[in-house]
Amino acid sequence: MAEPEEALASASTSGRRPNPRWAQYKRTFYFLRRNSLAMVGLGILVFWVLLAITSPLFPGPSNALTRYCGVPAGTPANASLGCSPVCTYPVGTPPTAGCYQVQAASPSVVAPTIRISNGGIDLGPLPLGSLTVSSGSVYFFNLAPGLVKGAPWSLGIAGAVVSSGAVIGLMLGAVAGYAGGATDEVIMRFTDIFLAIPGLFLVLVTLSVLGSKVGTLDGRVEILIAAFVITWWPLYTRIVRGQVLVTREQKYVEAARASGARRARIITRHIIPNSMYPVFVQMSLDVGTVPLLLAAIVFLGYQIWPVIYFPEWGTLAAFSVENVSTFVTCTSCTFPWWQIFFPGACLFLFAISVNFLADGLRDALDPRLRR
Amino acid sequence: MQMWVYIIRRVLLVLPVIIGVMTITFLLISLVPLNQRVSAAYGGGGRSSFSQCEPCPTGQTGNCGGHVGQCINPQYAAVVHKLGFDQPAPVQWALYMERSLTLNWGYTNPSSEASTGAYLGHSTYPVIEVLGWYLPYTLELALLSLLLILALAIPIGNYSAVHRNRPADQAARVMSFSGYALPSFLLGVLVLLGAAFLAGGTTPTCNFTSTHYLQFYGSWPPATCLPGDVYPAWIGSHFQTTPTHFPTIDALINGNYALAWQSFYRLLLPAVVIAYGYVAGILRFVRNSMLEVMNLDFVRTARAKGVSESQVVRHHAGRNSLNVTVTVLGLTFAFFITGFPVIEEVFGLRGIGFLLALSIQNPPDLGLIFGSTLLFTIIVVAANIIVDVVYAYLDPRVRLG
Repeated sequence: MAEPEEALASASTSGRRPNPRWAQYKRTFYFLRRNSLAMVGLGILVFWVLLAITSPLFPGPSNALTRYCGVPAGTPANASLGCSPVCTYPVGTPPTAGCYQVQAASPSVVAPTIRISNGGIDLGPLPLGSLTVSSGSVYFFNLAPGLVKGAPWSLGIAGAVVSSGAVIGLMLGAVAGYAGGATDEVIMRFTDIFLAIPGLFLVLVTLSVLGSKVGTLDGRVEILIAAFVITWWPLYTRIVRGQVLVTREQKYVEAARASGARRARIITRHIIPNSMYPVFVQMSLDVGTVPLLLAAIVFLGYQIWPVIYFPEWGTLAAFSVENVSTFVTCTSCTFPWWQIFFPGACLFLFAISVNFLADGLRDALDPRLRR
Repeated sequence: MQMWVYIIRRVLLVLPVIIGVMTITFLLISLVPLNQRVSAAYGGGGRSSFSQCEPCPTGQTGNCGGHVGQCINPQYAAVVHKLGFDQPAPVQWALYMERSLTLNWGYTNPSSEASTGAYLGHSTYPVIEVLGWYLPYTLELALLSLLLILALAIPIGNYSAVHRNRPADQAARVMSFSGYALPSFLLGVLVLLGAAFLAGGTTPTCNFTSTHYLQFYGSWPPATCLPGDVYPAWIGSHFQTTPTHFPTIDALINGNYALAWQSFYRLLLPAVVIAYGYVAGILRFVRNSMLEVMNLDFVRTARAKGVSESQVVRHHAGRNSLNVTVTVLGLTFAFFITGFPVIEEVFGLRGIGFLLALSIQNPPDLGLIFGSTLLFTIIVVAANIIVDVVYAYLDPRVRLG
């Protein structure tokens, strides 16, 4: 009977024997679990990721928030706001809640380049009576749906930047570290050039040269990600190369070479998997930095896209901070602390959670720091 | 290896990097439309508009850039030729390199947002001169922030290394991470609002702000604080002479002690915000290098021969753990010199970051953008060399190996 034997053989090679790499991950997680800060970070991170994944289930499209609009009486309605019919109010009166026109803007609406001031913009939860219409068109939108819809943007952009940076860094770093010699020199000098330009400026320069040429939200976001990746890949290349230089001298790599494995196989199966750990740590650190840097860029005045069409956390936070300025001049208004607090809290909790996680990961992966 | 040989080798190694950065800026500039490149490199000859096309002379027909009936401005064509923008790319690259190396970094755009916001008036200035006006202010801020970071990071880092994984260490970790994870503009605005609220609308808060931000963040309740604190003082008429361009030092030289105090006072809050944001990284380095040194043999020997624990921490381990920290601090300072666009924008400080924040607005100032990129690269590269040399001086193994 050949059948049971065959089944047994296949079970022993693929089914029963645990993958050694998997056991390694389990051991790492065991050390990670003993670090309470890292577990708090992991908890917050899991919450954000779940929110980002489930955000399409919440009502409304992901690239246009529901707007509540109104203009003062006597002024022509600004059709480009996408609010029609428009409620009108006498100048100097607070808009009433019943008069708001609720309009779910279609995703295909061409975004007006808006920077509406005059104390007209509020990000709910709205203290409705506290605002007065002075002049110009006003629109409102609620903050909470904006933050929910913003989660996939923020996390997605951060994830895309970090993973593409890491992939480029892994490939170049592995080749440079393994090949050595002239290849190494060329790749690393090229990396040095990019490392020499301060990060924020490289992003800004790339955006100011490329960004203005693209007229769609998706195009802008792609350019944004590209600008970030240009800034980030050199760091990963340098880390991976340093790690590969250590790994390639290990006995198991020598054994693989002695057994006649091809170069590509040695790099992909032996060297890269064993050089990954510092990359993981750096990735989890950077994933928190990207939304912060994006917020800084928006704050500095580079508008990726108007916030109601692009409710990314950093954009929301920068937008709110600029808005607060208009509220400070209004003596009778309630200070809209929630406009700063909630987007800021989202950014802060995300960044600090990945930092805690990265710190714990570093301790768990480095045997010297384990105890 | 002799020290000077090491220095020369280090400098030679860095030349390809600088050439590479210039090549990348050249490639980026090449993507910009021609007339913007011309005005960035030539400055429009001092005029606010320098047009490519003009109406044709009578009796001629032309087609200038799609405009039928327009001819190319002959002066414009002459400038394009003079700058070499009609030459093949390698020649243009060589000319660009030559202009960069001879410190001819182009001109500010008189119609850009930077020109208005930075009080340059509607005239054009050489980029390198404008950068020179703004750099000293950032230097003062960077120096103050670095001193604050030093004062915080070294004692706290040493303390958490000694009391590792105890509550104090964990608290220091949470504090420093929170500074890192908070967007700096949010923290800046909160600190500014808090300071204004605490001050109750009296004058000191006005000193933190420029005229533009005065009306927004300046005081609480608003509008009790009058504008008039216009910086940069060295461009305005505050002083008779501006020998150094450092606002505090210039004020001292001119004998205006009140203004000197004010210039210093304005830097305090931003420096605190910057230090809070950056102390996390330095703290980690201090803590980890201290932990490493504490495990070395000579520390054990010191303990074994009966040196007191505080003496070991302060003199044996502390001194030796500083080598790495010095390196990191040097690089941080170089990074600081490249400006704090966000903090300077929030606090209305007229440093080089503020200038860059203005120059990326619409319409952008390409001359300033590319000029500052070049300047910052040179600063970072130079700082790398200096740090390496200092490190080699402190630790002979580096230059021998």
